[in-house]
Amino acid sequence: MTHDTAAHPTYDDTTFDELVEALARWSGSLPEWAPARRVRAEWEQVAPRLDRARRELSRVLVVGVIGGTGTGKSTLVNALAGGTVSAAGDVARPTTINPVVVVAKDVDCSWLPLDALQARVVRSESPAVANIVLVDCPDPDTQADAGAHAAAAGQPRPSDTNRNRDMLEAVVPACDVLLLVATAQKYRSWIVAREVAAFAPGRPLLFVQTHASRDPDIRADWRKELEGQGFVVPRIFRLDALEAASRAATGLEPEPGFRELVQAIDEELVGRAARRVRRTGAADLADWFLQQSHRDLEPLRPAVAQLAAGVTEQRTRLEGLLAKAVEAKLRASRSAWQRLITDELVDRWHGGPFAMFLHIVAAIASFWPRMRSAGGGLIGRLLAGNAIAPASGRGTWQTIEELGLGEADVEQSRSILVGLAARARLAEPLVGRARLDDERVQATVGTLLDRTAAWLSSGIDKLVAERRGRMDSPLLRIGCELLFTTLLVAVLVRAGWNFFHGHLWNGRPVEGLAFLEEAFVWVILFGLFLRWLVFARLRMGLNGDIAALVARLPAAGLVDPLLADFAEAAAKAGGFVERGEQLTRESAAFSARLAEPATGLGRLRVAAGRP
Amino acid sequence: MQSDPSQAGGTQAAAPAKGVANTYASWAGSTTELCELIDALRPLSAALGAPDPSATDWHGQLFGKLQAQVSREPVVVAAVCGGTNTGKSLIANTLVGAEISRSVPEAARTRHPVASLPQGLAARIDLAALFPGFTPVAWTSEKDALAVSPDETAADRLVWREDAGGRQPARLILLDTPDIDGTLRENWHRAELVRNACDVLIAVLTQQKYNDAAVRDFFSAAAAARKTVIVVFNMVDWPRQRERIGGWLATFTAETGIVPLAVYAAPHDFAKAEAGRIDFYPLPELSPGGATGPVADAGTADLAASLAHVDFDRIKLQAMAGAVEVVLDPRAGAGTWLDAFETSARDWQQAKQLLADEARVRVALPTAPRELVWNEIWNWLEPRRSTLDLTVSKVYRLAGSGVVWAARRIGVAKSEEERREDFSAVELAALKQALADFVERLEDASRRNPRLAAMLDGALVSGDRAAWYADLERRHAALPIVSEDYRTFVRGELDRFSRENPGMVRWILTGLNVGSLARPAITVGLGLAGAAVVPAAAATAGGISTLVHHVGDVVVGTAATLAGEGALGLTMAGVKPLIERLFAGWSAERSRVLAETLHGVVLGDRLEEIDRLAAAAARPEVARARRLLFELRREFFQS
Repeated sequence: MTHDTAAHPTYDDTTFDELVEALARWSGSLPEWAPARRVRAEWEQVAPRLDRARRELSRVLVVGVIGGTGTGKSTLVNALAGGTVSAAGDVARPTTINPVVVVAKDVDCSWLPLDALQARVVRSESPAVANIVLVDCPDPDTQADAGAHAAAAGQPRPSDTNRNRDMLEAVVPACDVLLLVATAQKYRSWIVAREVAAFAPGRPLLFVQTHASRDPDIRADWRKELEGQGFVVPRIFRLDALEAASRAATGLEPEPGFRELVQAIDEELVGRAARRVRRTGAADLADWFLQQSHRDLEPLRPAVAQLAAGVTEQRTRLEGLLAKAVEAKLRASRSAWQRLITDELVDRWHGGPFAMFLHIVAAIASFWPRMRSAGGGLIGRLLAGNAIAPASGRGTWQTIEELGLGEADVEQSRSILVGLAARARLAEPLVGRARLDDERVQATVGTLLDRTAAWLSSGIDKLVAERRGRMDSPLLRIGCELLFTTLLVAVLVRAGWNFFHGHLWNGRPVEGLAFLEEAFVWVILFGLFLRWLVFARLRMGLNGDIAALVARLPAAGLVDPLLADFAEAAAKAGGFVERGEQLTRESAAFSARLAEPATGLGRLRVAAGRP
Repeated sequence: MQSDPSQAGGTQAAAPAKGVANTYASWAGSTTELCELIDALRPLSAALGAPDPSATDWHGQLFGKLQAQVSREPVVVAAVCGGTNTGKSLIANTLVGAEISRSVPEAARTRHPVASLPQGLAARIDLAALFPGFTPVAWTSEKDALAVSPDETAADRLVWREDAGGRQPARLILLDTPDIDGTLRENWHRAELVRNACDVLIAVLTQQKYNDAAVRDFFSAAAAARKTVIVVFNMVDWPRQRERIGGWLATFTAETGIVPLAVYAAPHDFAKAEAGRIDFYPLPELSPGGATGPVADAGTADLAASLAHVDFDRIKLQAMAGAVEVVLDPRAGAGTWLDAFETSARDWQQAKQLLADEARVRVALPTAPRELVWNEIWNWLEPRRSTLDLTVSKVYRLAGSGVVWAARRIGVAKSEEERREDFSAVELAALKQALADFVERLEDASRRNPRLAAMLDGALVSGDRAAWYADLERRHAALPIVSEDYRTFVRGELDRFSRENPGMVRWILTGLNVGSLARPAITVGLGLAGAAVVPAAAATAGGISTLVHHVGDVVVGTAATLAGEGALGLTMAGVKPLIERLFAGWSAERSRVLAETLHGVVLGDRLEEIDRLAAAAARPEVARARRLLFELRREFFQS
């Protein structure tokens, strides 16, 4: 071992522990979403292995010998074990049915689920297996495939009871490293390739061509085939296990291929190297898991984004309807606005003839029925200056119809969003249905009403206060009083002049009531004119202000409760995908930091596909 | 070759037993028609979701064997088959006596079958028809079989050449085939096509592979089709493993059901094999068929010669009969596929029924503007005024316009324009709600039925729902408030009514004033096979009427009660249905835009497709195919 990353083991291990915990939390964070459930299911396959790899970092490695029947797995195991531990030969296929576990005398292997695997344990003193656990696995290619030909379904066959592949699939999960054995006849076997691909993630591999004394060297072609399946293949061993076993039995020097394999096991799989193998395997496995998750989630990313965009679009649409209706209602109620703006102000104007005049007009006007007002409803009540009673959490479609939001419009938006959500595979309970049930209608519509009322009343209050401020200016008030008083004074002066100067002094007859009547009419007309001028100034720009008020409506988020479930679901799903990407980067960074030196062990490139 | 090949070939060619060929030629009619029917049903079967027959053994035998050979010159096809790197090509070369297919150390390199034809045969037979699924290509070199062509998926190639030496029996075609267990699945497929077509299989087994599942499956199918099999155990450590072979063969025959005609062992000797010389050691004790041919002094036999000696006619007939048996097999034959086809079709019937039951929406339309129907009737009445009580009509008109005028003055009534706008908005809202409701029902239905889900998810999940609403709005905006169709409908109804009730026309007026109070409700359903109920819609709806139709449960208020039944008395009984029809027609026409949107942009042709699939079981092809299977069975047992 030239380079050892275990120089800072605690640092790396802690980081990795944190990563694993983050993965566990993330994978279980959105169980309502089907794609996230799938991620969780994949996690549950991976988690125990990661867990074990972390807990048992320094335990000896379990090396599973796998390959097609007849390729010499058992012969190789015997050669490595230095004696016949597993039945081998050409008498019948398959030879090995139950797995054989070869382990050194002093090594504890009680943690292996031997009973469940129906495995037989053989103790060996051979130096080749002194620091590893070697498992002779059953073959994958003699058990009939589930989709086997129908013609064979007729009569029972001896192979109907063959469960070797099932057994293999039960044994391999216990292995840390795979030793793949192949011959010229079997290195391109489809079924073996399928099984290896299924178990390769996170498990380093050793590749061995056996039957070297009989078969041609196919290592170059096998390497091409393996690389095509996504494996990194640093080296392939070529040996003849039968010969190795016989040489070992007769005490001869082992053949070079076999010697290389034993040496590689010693260098790559034993001691500190074992820690490294296990750590790299775990990091590979975490990468692989995230890769799988990415493959599941990535296709949904645009759909989730579309849903989020759809929520915004539908919110804008509903707000447009709401704004249009509210604006029309507010504009249509001119007299209500005027009363709202003026009533209180008029009360505050005291102590002048014009103020008195305004009071009188207001008093008379109060007898006039309030026709053409905004009517009832929320806006009418608000404009009538009534305090808004909270909608008390109850509401029906009728109550918000005056706000321009009909059941049909809301259902349209929700139905469009249901479609978009379905594309992102978001369904109940994360999002509701297009049609809200009565209970939810009451709740959401109630909230909508409360929010709208609060928002509108504050908006109207502000608008009114601002206009009152305009009227409160002393200049306007003094000007009005002056103008009105001037006319009154002129009338009084004229009348006084006529009486005192003309009648008493010059003895001309009194002009009488005729002048006063006329003057009274003029005063009233002038007063009304002044009043109209004042109010006109108040009304000036009202429509513009209403438009400005309504333009601020989107910021208030009034219609959000109607589409809240979709907005939340889109945010949750988007967050899940994003978090996955983040974890992928973290995991990749960890693997990069681990940067193992080139070894003789093969591994599945994470980006690889399955055959 | 130690036997006289010209003589062997001569006898075989000269005397193809007429009776034998006639036997299976009598099946030609049934099989040809059966193939046509199955080809016709296949696209439908794929749409139904029924299993694809092309991978089944019966299909392989029917199309690859019977159809191709039943009425052709009775040549015997023999193929060398086995797993990767078991030496198939070397054995084939030895059999032919020339290097037709290159043998290389790497596995799975024979990509295409290579056929060696006896001299003169290529001119007589149509190879493409004899080997369906393959494009015959003339042989240029022994590397042809290894070539990977760029258009690999376009067609499977079959390389052929005529036997240069002239030793090949006149009716025998010999083939080398790709592997049956490697990582390239197209090789398996090609080997299966060859297996289906052949009469004799030379099964190349090794001690590593004789019990592999892939090998067993391949040869089990051959045994079921009663192909003649010659077993060659290759790469045997001879003679050390001689006594092992009995056990290996016992396993192989028990697994596959094969009774080999002959069994040979070929020793493991690359150098000799490369030179085209393979020693085949006959194992007569393991060959119940007994045909191992003449044995030389060294204990070896000439496999090619013993092949020439087998009874071609018997083998051919056996293979043809075996193919028929596979097709007729009660557990896995063509009949089971027809069963699956019908089962799938019945599932679709259920799906259709579910859709017809569930996908049905009640549209609560707003009350029609009164004057609309009124005006139409007035227009109809206009030319008949002379025959009417003028005063009655005048009073109604005057009173009506007077009331409207007064109402408008005091601001209670809206103008006709405003009322129509209001009506239009409410109506559109009702239609939109109905659309949302419909979509939700379709979602529910497809949740309950996986087949519907498969069919409708394309619309419900990937559909652009905003576009559906836009379409509905567009259609609704384009719909004139009173269409020509409706005018025609009203005139027709009134004409008919006045013909049937000459004295009651005047009551129409009274009735209409009352009838306008009615509030219509239309149920729109997916009528998959029914006819439209409402005539106005049916008149123009064309294709849609049979798909999305209005169920005629139009509710037209309680007109008579409102008017006081006593006042109208008996006559009302006749007028009421008329009024109902007039209003129903109008309302139905309005809600037709929903039906059009559903058909046009939401569902497209999916309803027609469901209809077609639900009717699949009743297709005459199915019954005819069953009949043909029955006839083929009878013919088969007679012969």
